[in-house]
Amino acid sequence: MTIACRYGTHRVVSPKGTLPQPAHKLDNTMSIYDNEVLIDVSTLNIDSASYTQIKKACGSDAEKMKEMILAIVEERGKMQNPVTGSGGMLIGTVREIGRNFPANRLKVGDRIATLVSLSLTPLKINSIKKLSPASDQVDVDAQAILFESGLFAILPDDIPEKLALAALDVAGAPAQVDRLVTEGDIVCIIGGGGKSGILCCYQAMQNAGPSGKVIVVEYSKENAQRITDMNLATDVIVADATNVMDVYEKVMAVTGGRGCDVTVNNVNVPSTEMTSILITKGQGCVYFFSMATSFTKAALGAEGVGKDINLIVGNGYAKGHANLTLNIIRESKPIRELFEKLYV
Amino acid sequence: MKKGNKYGIHRVIEPKGVLPQPANKIDNNMDEIYDNEILIDVQTLNIDSASFTQIEEQAKGDKAKIAEIMLGIVASQGKHRNPVTGSGGMLLGTVEQIGDALIGKIDLKVGDRIATLVSLSLTPLRIDKIKEIRSDIDQVDIDGKAILFESGIYAKIPDDMPANLALSALDVAGAPAQTAKLVKPGDTVLIIGAGGKSGMLCCYEAKKRAGVTGKVIGLCHSEKSTKRLQDLGFCDYVFSADATQPVSILEKIEELTKGQMCDVTINNVNITDTEMTSILCTKDTGVVYFFSMATSFTKAALGAEGVGSDVTMIVGNGYTKGHAEITLELLRESDKLRKIFTELYA
Repeated sequence: MTIACRYGTHRVVSPKGTLPQPAHKLDNTMSIYDNEVLIDVSTLNIDSASYTQIKKACGSDAEKMKEMILAIVEERGKMQNPVTGSGGMLIGTVREIGRNFPANRLKVGDRIATLVSLSLTPLKINSIKKLSPASDQVDVDAQAILFESGLFAILPDDIPEKLALAALDVAGAPAQVDRLVTEGDIVCIIGGGGKSGILCCYQAMQNAGPSGKVIVVEYSKENAQRITDMNLATDVIVADATNVMDVYEKVMAVTGGRGCDVTVNNVNVPSTEMTSILITKGQGCVYFFSMATSFTKAALGAEGVGKDINLIVGNGYAKGHANLTLNIIRESKPIRELFEKLYV
Repeated sequence: MKKGNKYGIHRVIEPKGVLPQPANKIDNNMDEIYDNEILIDVQTLNIDSASFTQIEEQAKGDKAKIAEIMLGIVASQGKHRNPVTGSGGMLLGTVEQIGDALIGKIDLKVGDRIATLVSLSLTPLRIDKIKEIRSDIDQVDIDGKAILFESGIYAKIPDDMPANLALSALDVAGAPAQTAKLVKPGDTVLIIGAGGKSGMLCCYEAKKRAGVTGKVIGLCHSEKSTKRLQDLGFCDYVFSADATQPVSILEKIEELTKGQMCDVTINNVNITDTEMTSILCTKDTGVVYFFSMATSFTKAALGAEGVGSDVTMIVGNGYTKGHAEITLELLRESDKLRKIFTELYA
């Protein structure tokens, strides 16, 4: 075993000096360095943008899709879609643990999901066992490497693997809500009706308590009704989040002109930065989970309206995020049933 | 007087329903002001550096042509938002009239000299005449008027320093003020892009807040700015490196901090691909403050997750309460800062 880097730079083949994610090619030799974990992979959960691109490129032909996935991994040593740049997650069983991997976290035989992207995970596929164009979960016979800095969750016994995987995919969001929201807060969740939105609402309701308020802004009437039915918010506003003044006036009406202490943006469409900024109180905080967020629109927008608020870049990782998210699935029967219906 | 909207939406001509900044055209009629506006008699425009560079290139350095381009922008938009870069700048002027609804509510009176701290990209502006163009410092003296909205921020120009010196520091006022809020005694602080205008202010403020038990590390690019920052003596350690190379900088910071890494990292560098460097040099429980407008949201968000870092990443907000006062005070406190700012920017 050779001494290696915590972030896996020892596996970067080209270009030299980069980290595994931006690298073009990784070394996917499946003998581990002393700080790595070897995983026998059973399922790849390909990122939905990536899977859609592959499906289109192959005209939804399962055999061609298999070939394309194998070709990407053969060429790059990892499953990073060259067009979308995105990866996904995997489920597998721990086969071998390097002696310098942090102790007492894993044992051989554990079933785990990796929570770092496939776009930086060394992977070698022996064969694709099952691929259906309709599902982005691909069953494989493969091996992968987890770096020392890599995140993972041990899959629980009491939740089906695929349900756990669907929830873990957005684990960062409710965990960050748990840190940000305190009792009595007025919270607005923009795009509250989607997968991560629902988990955020649940956590926000718990933390804000009976003296707080959780407001959901949701575009789809159907999703908004679901939030109302499941009692996941105190107020539900159906509106287009890109329409700044409409949302601003509706939120001000609900909050008596005070605005929100914490605003969480989960909506994956561009140009919702100003809406998030305007509905937030001075000294309040906006958490941007949306990957469609423009850095400059947020930065210049807040200055332009003279708002002294904290604008935070959503970090998909927070300590303890996997447990917190799985606990929501355990605690809330309605969310569990909904996720089983929609995502499994 | 007509009643105005706090954010100036009453001035938006098209497209309807947007705020003044993204608007293509706003109303710059100054004959009559709304009840919550401030009318300013403008003396100097401090054009955003990206914007001025673009205009200068388009005009091939010809001052008459620069004036023509600037007048054209204001004529078509009612504000000075560069159509190529999207950016604006600031202005220096004298308060001429205050709307009825603001009288007694703000600390301004007619005749006060102020700098507006909101972007020209959203400020209604009329240029009657361009008097002088100072290309080396991006400043243009004009005859003209501008409107400050109720939500607009401004700073009174102090009596104890030249207006141009104050303007050059106020341009980056957000950075040192946020540094003041973030850095605590004993913190290890890394400033990336430490040799530039906002970088130098951040280094000074960071050392003041971190104190003798803290450590401030300045990362510069050019040899010249590295030397300049070393001579200023604000930092405990200054080095020169390419901020887009995360691995070598990570090793250097590990060595300098004995593996502890930084509590606060402030990124001031206006080039792309420095997100990972900022994240990796920061403690897992630390904070990265991105002031660079070249920051990619997705590279920061996915990058931190990719390396399993629980770091807090903040989008640089050019405004925080008291930012103008904090920044002007730095020029009073430090003769070194005042001297170098006068030399380089005023």
